[in-house]
Amino acid sequence: MIDVVPPFVVYILGAFVVANTPAGVLRSAVLCLIPLIGGALVWNLDIGVYGQINAYGLDLVLLRVDKLSIIFALIFSLAGFLAMLYAWHIRDTIQQVAALLYSGSAIGAVFAGDLITLFVFWEGTAIASVFLIWARRSEGAYHTGMRYLIMQIASGVILIAGTALHYRDTGSIAFDQMTLGSLGTWLIFLAFGIKCAFPLLHNWLQDAYPAATVTGTVVLSAFTTKLAVYALARTFPGTELLIYIGAVMTLFPIFYAVIENDLRRVLAYSLNNQLGFMVVGVGIGTELALNGTAAHAFAHILYKALLFMSVGAVLFRTGTAKGSDLGGLYKTMPLTMIFCVVGAASISAFPLFSGFVSKSLILSAAGKEHYWVIWAILLFASAGVFHHSGIKIPYFVFFAHDSGKRPKEAPWNMLLAMFITSALCIGIGSYPAPLYALLPYDIKYEPYTTSHVITQLQLLFFSALAFTVLMRTGIYPPELRSVNLDSDWTYRRAGPALLGWLTWVVSSLWGGLKSFGVKEFWRITEGLYKTHGPEGRMARVWPTGSMVLWLAVILAAALLVNFIT
Amino acid sequence: MAQTHDHTKDEFDIVETDPAKLPALGRAMLFLDKKKNVDRIVYGLYAVCALLVIADIAYKKKTYFSIEYFFGFYGWYGFIMCALLVVCAKAMRRVLMRDETYYAPYDVESEDYPEDQLDRSSIHD
Repeated sequence: MIDVVPPFVVYILGAFVVANTPAGVLRSAVLCLIPLIGGALVWNLDIGVYGQINAYGLDLVLLRVDKLSIIFALIFSLAGFLAMLYAWHIRDTIQQVAALLYSGSAIGAVFAGDLITLFVFWEGTAIASVFLIWARRSEGAYHTGMRYLIMQIASGVILIAGTALHYRDTGSIAFDQMTLGSLGTWLIFLAFGIKCAFPLLHNWLQDAYPAATVTGTVVLSAFTTKLAVYALARTFPGTELLIYIGAVMTLFPIFYAVIENDLRRVLAYSLNNQLGFMVVGVGIGTELALNGTAAHAFAHILYKALLFMSVGAVLFRTGTAKGSDLGGLYKTMPLTMIFCVVGAASISAFPLFSGFVSKSLILSAAGKEHYWVIWAILLFASAGVFHHSGIKIPYFVFFAHDSGKRPKEAPWNMLLAMFITSALCIGIGSYPAPLYALLPYDIKYEPYTTSHVITQLQLLFFSALAFTVLMRTGIYPPELRSVNLDSDWTYRRAGPALLGWLTWVVSSLWGGLKSFGVKEFWRITEGLYKTHGPEGRMARVWPTGSMVLWLAVILAAALLVNFIT
Repeated sequence: MAQTHDHTKDEFDIVETDPAKLPALGRAMLFLDKKKNVDRIVYGLYAVCALLVIADIAYKKKTYFSIEYFFGFYGWYGFIMCALLVVCAKAMRRVLMRDETYYAPYDVESEDYPEDQLDRSSIHD
């Protein structure tokens, strides 16, 4: 029986209402209201398990409420609200309905208590979200959306296959802690890994997010990947493999981010890097580390949305988000610049900004468990993220050399959304107690120690120093209009090229065989025709006289044989 | 509004904007246009970095690893690693960089953003 209204219902009903409300201010208001209602529902949920349904002998759990699911559902609701406010000016039914269904699915998945329910919402996020890419309505966006959809659906298919195997092995479909071992658990792990953008499975993210609409990217940035982090935290906490996967994830995207020109793709790379921190937290799996993962996901969704919002506002006003085409916008978009800098300071973990109080939980957990190589990598990644997200983005958009562009300040709704998000980033960073109270485990952690503040400031200011020195000496690579090959090259170029080559080999072999066969056929036919045709040698022995003669010879031979025997 | 981008941004003429047309906040920051002032900021950064390293003497570090006790560890680690990051990334370009149209028309990289979804108001309007 369903005894509590699951929050995702609000979004699905809301989507119906929105689709039937005329596009305009009223619809935008409804859109902003729905995540608030959903959020209020989440806030008032009591810990427990609700909505248990037995279907075909399977125990489905629609609503498993504990502190881990609540914190993710809350931040998803909040991110939904902020994104809707940012998209207030949009008059596109497809995008609006898709955004609602997408956030509703993500929240539904967070509360899922079994793998089948999870699968349904998992696919829901995939299908709803692709419309935010297609809503750009260009040829490139269509193809990119297709690639995105294939990856997302593949993740879902692998998840359901893993679930089936896991059910056969254990008789359980509970969405709960597992140990990697059987094929089923590995498949589930892989399904989560695709959505979590594990190394080599990551490239759908950098491919698709910059291709979505201005507002669509803000929505996309919040849900899919953090849902995967939640799923990992739920099922595989303390899996050591995740520590190494996470460390690689923090590392390689920062190199790409330095040379990438499209600033929304730079942000997608740094999103990947931030996910790495969360995955390391899951891998360490101690209470401190899992708290760190949850806190970092919470803070990260806000500052990442803020960064996508500010770059999106620039795209909305100038038609480009490329570093090579921008510069000097601080003169005419100073508020957007300030909000961008707040996002940059938050992602870089400056003291008083949100990243500082969340990322340090994970670093401390790594330190406490004596993973010193991992700790050093995370420290490098922290410095690196400041370098490319914290400095590069604001610098190339708002400062650097004047692009001559003089766009107006962002529209009021974007400014308001950015203002609220900025306030939250600073609020969390300056007064982390309310965030810490939401974390899944009790926590005694003081981020503001002299050691921590000074060392963090040293790290960041010396990174800034490195940037400045490299910039002034001309070593820093300029922003160039370009694309950089990443793992997507394998399925966008190498795969098709290999397939093309194989096709060529097979078809030329077949063609060769065929023409050889045909040639031989004609040679034999012509040969036979020569000998047996009307003009052939054999045809010359047709006169009846010779035939009678030969008949007589055969008869004589037969007689002779008869007499002798 | 022209739809094409200015591919050669260093060559086209930048129209000097009348400061009165800028928003007050933007006008207040115009000092950033002067190289002298940027230099001052950079010297300020050098000074802050120096102070932060010196600050290491003033307090007792609480740490997990012995390397953290090394004088100014976070400073030089941040500097060296970031410099290496940029140098390596720059080298990666030689192998990985392709023209913007490399995947065209199958991605958005070389497309213009659909104009009907933008609002390119400028302060000159």
